[in-house]
Amino acid sequence: MKRREFIKKATLTSAGAMIAPYILPSGRLFAPTGTQIAPHVVLVMYAGGLRNQETVDQLYLSQSQHTWNPTPSLNVTGNIMPNLLSGAAPSSKVVYGVGTSGNTPISPILSTPIQSQGVLFKEVNAIAAGHYGGSIALLQGNTNLAQPLLERPKTPTIFEFLRKHGGYKATDTWFIGNSLTNSVPLYNHSAHEDYGAKYGANMFIPGVTFGNQGDQFLKDAKIYHPQNELSPMYKMKYFLDNSYESLTSNNILDTVGNTEAEKQQIKNFMKTMFQKKQAGTVIRPPQGGNDASTVGYALEVMKEFKPAVTVIKIDGPDVCHSNFTGYLRAIHAADHAIGYMWNYIQTQIPDMANETIFIATPDCGRNLNPNPILDNENNFRAFDHSDANTRRVFTLMAGKSIGNEPDKATGPLSSTSPLNTDAAITVGHILGIEQEMLNSGFLHSQSQSLIRKL
Amino acid sequence: MKKIHTYLVLFSLCLVSFQCKKENLEDMVFEINEVKLYPSASSKLKEKTESQWIAVVYTNLFQQALSAGDIYKAGQCITSIGDKELAREVIISNFMNSTSPLPAIPTDTDMRADIDKFINDTYERFLIRRPTEGEKQYFRNEINNNPTRSAEIIYFSFALSNEYLFY
Repeated sequence: MKRREFIKKATLTSAGAMIAPYILPSGRLFAPTGTQIAPHVVLVMYAGGLRNQETVDQLYLSQSQHTWNPTPSLNVTGNIMPNLLSGAAPSSKVVYGVGTSGNTPISPILSTPIQSQGVLFKEVNAIAAGHYGGSIALLQGNTNLAQPLLERPKTPTIFEFLRKHGGYKATDTWFIGNSLTNSVPLYNHSAHEDYGAKYGANMFIPGVTFGNQGDQFLKDAKIYHPQNELSPMYKMKYFLDNSYESLTSNNILDTVGNTEAEKQQIKNFMKTMFQKKQAGTVIRPPQGGNDASTVGYALEVMKEFKPAVTVIKIDGPDVCHSNFTGYLRAIHAADHAIGYMWNYIQTQIPDMANETIFIATPDCGRNLNPNPILDNENNFRAFDHSDANTRRVFTLMAGKSIGNEPDKATGPLSSTSPLNTDAAITVGHILGIEQEMLNSGFLHSQSQSLIRKL
Repeated sequence: MKKIHTYLVLFSLCLVSFQCKKENLEDMVFEINEVKLYPSASSKLKEKTESQWIAVVYTNLFQQALSAGDIYKAGQCITSIGDKELAREVIISNFMNSTSPLPAIPTDTDMRADIDKFINDTYERFLIRRPTEGEKQYFRNEINNNPTRSAEIIYFSFALSNEYLFY
């Protein structure tokens, strides 16, 4: 009898030991090995392709227009990103601002530019020349040459790494996109069979979710009682799902694994956003178009959910394919939006103030030589993105535990320059899963946390 | 004599027309009950696109079609939200709250007047199949044991089910 009991207990203990790791939150097997450097990260894909010449090199019109049209009035240099970078603004030919002909620069929001608070890696190697490849390289920590457009990333994104290996909840990870085009709605998780949707991030494309489409199909959603109505509804749905799964060999698609409580919080948040939209009180930087609106909704998300990671995609500067004047204005307006965001986090979101690290990096650069298109307003030449200059981008980082090194990674781009794919492992390092990401085998062989390069 | 001849011709034509009546298959009696066939759940392997799901759920709830432009816009709403299941849930809730048109949902009195009929009709309406005996019993218990269980909530669970995502 005793022997029998012993065998029974031993079997149960072994079974428990085998099962226990699988029942930890979010499906992760083991606790993350690293410690957090900061509990929150905001990664801004300062996207749309930015030339270093107009950003960190502060060359304004001198190497974009004057080179091709040696009119003295175009030989102007200066900084058009006063919130992010230190440096004097252009002294003449101001067209990047607001008002008539864009001749009024937007007043800086930050009294000290982020470059003077944190670290600027001036020469960073963008390893993909396109927007989708470049953007998901920031999220995956790698690039995949076989990655087509309009398909999910092939290898896991930072969101999935965090949720699978770090045990973060779905509402701890957010992607806020600016458009339904350019595969943007596919950024929140990969198609990798070991990761995928169930470890994906929550996402809004605010221009649609809270735009006209949302007004028509989401705004008037009935709020059901969580216990009396929704709970039985879910119970019946799960019964139907189990019934279907027992009858079919079909692979049921995973969804982002929000718990019922998280779903309720998101639905309430959406309801509030529609009310705030109607009242005109949604957070929004004072100037700017769609990028500013996207940043404003991202701040609403941060205020509500205090995510561990928030990734924001903006891409106004991509107008540079045909409108260089518009490109300059979009860079300047995005700088304003990001300055507003950083200030808002520090002053209006107490849980994130002084507890957040900010990273901004473009998806790719742009060409050295212009295409034949002249814009209507100033006859400025436009630039695409496909040559070696497209590899030149920057990365700016500031916030908790980040010292001030305003001129890091200067000099010409080389094989030892940081990669823009370093963004993913840097986020992982900050949030405590650096080793798990390195062990995964999915990162670019030279990808390294930027914090290790300080 | 000529008149009699005409009547005879007409009469024979009538006889011929009756004799030539086409025999329909339905007229034949095989002495078995007529059975309506439904696909089984196991044959639903193709995932509906977002637009297809929108079109079908709207038709099922309102018994009328949604315009192509609106189907496109509603599909964009799903695309714009990371948790697709949550997006579908919010869209269904939005439809349930519609005042014009009103969703075509049986009253709770009608549902409870003939529970088996309600269950069969709901399976046919949403899942295009008959419930198994086990499924029928589950919903009978749900309705009988919970006086506040409404037809609306039951419809909601069907519209949000995984099976409803496939065809």
